[in-house]
Amino acid sequence: MAAQPKPLHLEQVNYLEGGGIYGWLTTIDHKRIAVLYGISALLFMALGGTEAMLVRAQLIVPNNHFLSADFYNQMFTMHGLTMIFLVVMPLETGLFGNFLIPLQIGARDVAFPRLNALSYWIFILGALSLNFGWIWGGLPNGGWFGYANLTERAYAPGLNIDYYDVGLLILGISSVMSALNFFVTIVNMRAPGMTFMRMPMFIWALLVTVILLLLAFPALTVGLIFLFADRYFGSHFYEVIAGATPMLWQHLFWIFGHPEVYIMALPAFGMISEVLPVFSRKPLFGYPMMAYSIILIAFLSYGVWGHHMFATGMGPVADSAFAITSMLIAIPTGVKVFSWIATVWGGRLRFTTSMLFALGFILEFTIGGLSGVMHASAPIDLEQTDSYFIIAHFHYVLFGGVLMAILSAFYFYFPKMCGRFMNETLGKWHFWLTTIFFNCTFFPMHFLGEWGMPRRIYTYAPDMGWNFWNMFESISAFCLGASFLLFFANIAWSWFNGERAGADPWNARTLEWSIPSPPPIYNFVTVPTVHSRDAFWVEKYGDVEASGLAEKRVNVEYQTLPTPEEIAAIHMPLPSLFPIIMAGAIFLAGVGMLVGWFRLVFLGLGLLGFCAISMSFEYKEWGEDNPHQVHESFLKLDNRKVGVWSFIGSECVFFASLISTFMVYKSRSIGLPDADILNIPLTSFSTFILLMSSLLMVLALAGFQGGKPKVGTFWLFGTAFFGLIFLGGQVYEFTSFYREGMLYNTNLFSQCFYTLVGFHGFHVFLGVVWLLVMAFAGMKGKIGRSRALSVELCGLYWHFVDIVWVVIFTLIYLMRTIKRA
Amino acid sequence: MKPPRHIRLTRASISAALIAMAVGIAGCASGGPYPLDTLSPKSDLTRAILNLFKEVTILDSIVLVVVVVAMIGAIFVYSSREGDPGEPSAMHSDVTLEMLWTVIPALILVAITVPTVHTIIRTQPNKWPADTLEVKVIAHQWWWEFRYPTLGVVTADEVHIPINRSIHFAMTSKDVIHSFFMPSIGGKRDVVPGQENQITLTADTPGEYYGQCTEFCGASHANMRFRVFVDTPEAFNQWVAHQNEVPMKPTEGPAAAGAKIWADAPCAICHTVKGISGFSKEYTYGFRGPDLTHFGSRTTLAGSMLKNTPANVALWIKNPDAVKPGANMPTLGLDDQELSDLVAYLESLK
Amino acid sequence: MSDHAIEHDHVHGGHDDAVHEHAHPGWQVYSLVAVVLIILTAMEIGVFYAPFLQAWLVPMLIVLAILKFILVAGFYMHLKYDGPVFTTLFAFPLLLACMICGSLMLLFLYLGRHTGY
Repeated sequence: MAAQPKPLHLEQVNYLEGGGIYGWLTTIDHKRIAVLYGISALLFMALGGTEAMLVRAQLIVPNNHFLSADFYNQMFTMHGLTMIFLVVMPLETGLFGNFLIPLQIGARDVAFPRLNALSYWIFILGALSLNFGWIWGGLPNGGWFGYANLTERAYAPGLNIDYYDVGLLILGISSVMSALNFFVTIVNMRAPGMTFMRMPMFIWALLVTVILLLLAFPALTVGLIFLFADRYFGSHFYEVIAGATPMLWQHLFWIFGHPEVYIMALPAFGMISEVLPVFSRKPLFGYPMMAYSIILIAFLSYGVWGHHMFATGMGPVADSAFAITSMLIAIPTGVKVFSWIATVWGGRLRFTTSMLFALGFILEFTIGGLSGVMHASAPIDLEQTDSYFIIAHFHYVLFGGVLMAILSAFYFYFPKMCGRFMNETLGKWHFWLTTIFFNCTFFPMHFLGEWGMPRRIYTYAPDMGWNFWNMFESISAFCLGASFLLFFANIAWSWFNGERAGADPWNARTLEWSIPSPPPIYNFVTVPTVHSRDAFWVEKYGDVEASGLAEKRVNVEYQTLPTPEEIAAIHMPLPSLFPIIMAGAIFLAGVGMLVGWFRLVFLGLGLLGFCAISMSFEYKEWGEDNPHQVHESFLKLDNRKVGVWSFIGSECVFFASLISTFMVYKSRSIGLPDADILNIPLTSFSTFILLMSSLLMVLALAGFQGGKPKVGTFWLFGTAFFGLIFLGGQVYEFTSFYREGMLYNTNLFSQCFYTLVGFHGFHVFLGVVWLLVMAFAGMKGKIGRSRALSVELCGLYWHFVDIVWVVIFTLIYLMRTIKRA
Repeated sequence: MKPPRHIRLTRASISAALIAMAVGIAGCASGGPYPLDTLSPKSDLTRAILNLFKEVTILDSIVLVVVVVAMIGAIFVYSSREGDPGEPSAMHSDVTLEMLWTVIPALILVAITVPTVHTIIRTQPNKWPADTLEVKVIAHQWWWEFRYPTLGVVTADEVHIPINRSIHFAMTSKDVIHSFFMPSIGGKRDVVPGQENQITLTADTPGEYYGQCTEFCGASHANMRFRVFVDTPEAFNQWVAHQNEVPMKPTEGPAAAGAKIWADAPCAICHTVKGISGFSKEYTYGFRGPDLTHFGSRTTLAGSMLKNTPANVALWIKNPDAVKPGANMPTLGLDDQELSDLVAYLESLK
Repeated sequence: MSDHAIEHDHVHGGHDDAVHEHAHPGWQVYSLVAVVLIILTAMEIGVFYAPFLQAWLVPMLIVLAILKFILVAGFYMHLKYDGPVFTTLFAFPLLLACMICGSLMLLFLYLGRHTGY
């Protein structure tokens, strides 16, 4: 997907920056994509806010009939989904991640610009799938957590849950793609000298966030696939009737869901760590501890998902373990809060709107964090969970915390994005109104929670003692909503009329402020060399600890137009129509899944494959290293290789979720067939075939690398042929099972087996397609010599599929007898 | 001109304290009573939880005060403003300080974790005293069924337990996941199909307590409430004896006419009236809806949504879906006379 | 010819990536690994069919699978030759995947038994 970067010509600069609507549809410029994410997310913020207003309007008095029960349920579900997936994540990773990562690390764009555009278009279409119900009726109504078995056909017959299922699957694809992209960008595309310990804290936060995205989303994807199979193919992954349990969904969901909390929180931490030092004229306090605590939080976040499930009866041992790990997370979080305060301590403060939001963040987030410690204690959680106390807790974390940080960053980076300041007077009104009404809305929810008001109830009786505070909260919420009108008005006004901002309007510390506002298409005329943390500050004042009050050591010349010689050294990819077409293809497949018209699914997937292949034929010669990119990269590695490896990492979690489901469910399966049906001689043969195909694959690679493309091509065909034999064996195996009466939905064993082994087979199929494309390219002499990277990448994928089979063959086939023991 | 440092500190602290007090007073002074209050425990289990909650709240408050004071210090006292004379501090690390704010929170968390784990293990026993009373809780969309296997009692939406005796709730669901929440007596525990979750407790104060489903379970999740009656042993035994009686079949008046309507209408497909209809061993007949054998002696109906008055019963039967959206009970299409007769019959089932 | 390949690499790929990525092995090493893989697989199947090994089935199969896994990842996926970056990129998710598998099996098959979890 890496667009071949080409040397830039001066007229291209104008072309890349202009282009009207067509220019925006085909843009692959990370800054423009960031703006697209930003605008969409703000629109969805208005929508999600409206949903919240409707929820509060319904709860303003007891026994209210403003909304119907079902519509209320749709509203709170959509409020959660919208705010999480369509507002916070796109604002943090989509807007600020996209905009800032290349600027802060001194790169010209992200690693895979076209993939970046594709992520955006998929995101927007996934968002539409979630919101289909506004047009056709029946928005998702099972909560953002969508707990099975309420989401099964028997209890949710309409399309509501299907929108949820397909929408989240599509959004997951988009998130994983951009996560992979950003990961490679941060790891490999930093400017010379920018070591890990010199990266801005926002980059640290984003790096860890995208790792979480890569390694958390697959668990949800697997859960959603099971749900889809249950709803469309009659399987019973979450149904007790077949021996399954709805708890599996909760585990898969929260294995994703808790890291998701930090996917939202960590970028906010990063933004705050950027804003506070600038407006305190001090370096960030305790930089190493700040970085380590981010890593620690992320690592621990995978071991705490059970604290969402204390009430589900996991047993005392699991409850204790999850309580302890959850408590541990408070330590690095505390380190961050204290370090932020220490950053402000003794500084020379400037109370801009951005600074006010950042300071507000610290306090609100601390309150949210402390109430979090309460329900990390499992017994207390038994009183608090699913009550308004929890709503108070996570709104303090996500609104008082994350959204405040986003707003802070918004006021901070708006001048960089469009070259104009946001209006400070309006901004301060916005800050004070938002802060006051936020606290008025959500603080009393602590009381309501302690008085037992459950979440997600569309009405309540008048004799519960909740009347006053509900009315108070609703009125505050309306005022809170109104305060955001100021924000939207401010953006609209400032976009056109705001005071002009220079390159470095805040006297800031990091690289993005060393280039004009808004930045030119190529970002940096010459890629900077970094010698220390806070690189731009050091360039200006000579020292990280400098107060910034003295004369600038270097009077920084902000770049104007580069000279033709400098231009010739800039390599930029060109716009492309492929991303939006490919997103459309995925959307077609999604619609096909929704309406159960599977021909449309195949059409979409076919179009997708066609685009992928024709896009790769844009290259004159394959398999060459991309010497320019490798040379400019930080680790001297090819982006594509880092990308493939991180994709493989993500796949590990995908298969782990499938395999653990199989292992958990095989002993619960009812009736025949069971594991005894498995044909060991046949699969042993298949295993040999697949192992040998891996040998042929490396021989092919050795052929190309050794300058013998014909030999390489021959072995590539051989690998594909062996892959086809493996697939043939699998088709034979499946059809013989079918003839013995083992249908997909016969019992738990059959559905787990077909899903796991089928998905592996699907990977083999994709691998064979890839191999054949490579082989034909080799025949046409399109594969270069050198290290033959494209063959190597294909090989990595192929070997990964092979080692997954090693695991499956052992755990599923050879260990089938465990059951009898 | 900026006032001196100590005056700024005092001012800011007083404002912070005033805000905190205002919030506290507002919280406490907004009336009550709160039938679902989680802070008024009436059993050993909830008392243990409250003790833990108090401890964590105190420790949390200390941390919050430290953070607020530090923020006041950082913003109002130890920092300067644009245009102030002198240089700002350039301190950006301090090993002692950083050690302190790692180690002290860790110690606080140990102080929370130890009693937490202790309470978890103590409140989730896997053995019970010999005289433990077992109550089976069966959740349905959207009502609660209670069975006392040792006493032969089946009831709905209102559960009775005696004080000072170990009670073991064994809970499962007939359809989707619910959560059994009775804050004063037993906290909450999810009720999951295919799984038997437990709550073990000993209640200590007689009274009527509220409960409600707290896991989102579909359209009428809000309407799935129940009552817990904690009785003295004598009252409890009396109640059990009464529950085991078979109600008299009415012979005259509207109740008798209502009994005929009951027999003709499809009521008995879902509901049981012991001695009259329903009750097959396989639980296939007369068990989709609540057992109505002693309906007249209950205080509420329809998942404890409504007070048990003839008007409310009529309202419910006339159009269940209007009262409880998505309710599984059909509209029977009775005329007003039939309705009032049927209500009279149901109310006679004392 | 493989000598020529190395030379070619040095001439053309004279840039810095040579520092990080060592030359990949030739067909001899690959074939040797393939032989070992086949032997290990044969052992797996042997263990499966040998009645006297049933008690040791699970640990032996796991050990053999891990060996195969390491061989393919180390030699065919070149982790042994490429920089430690890639090994980290693979090892961390793998660790996580094992943790997820392990804890789910623990939760469902052991810790939750009393409730019929």
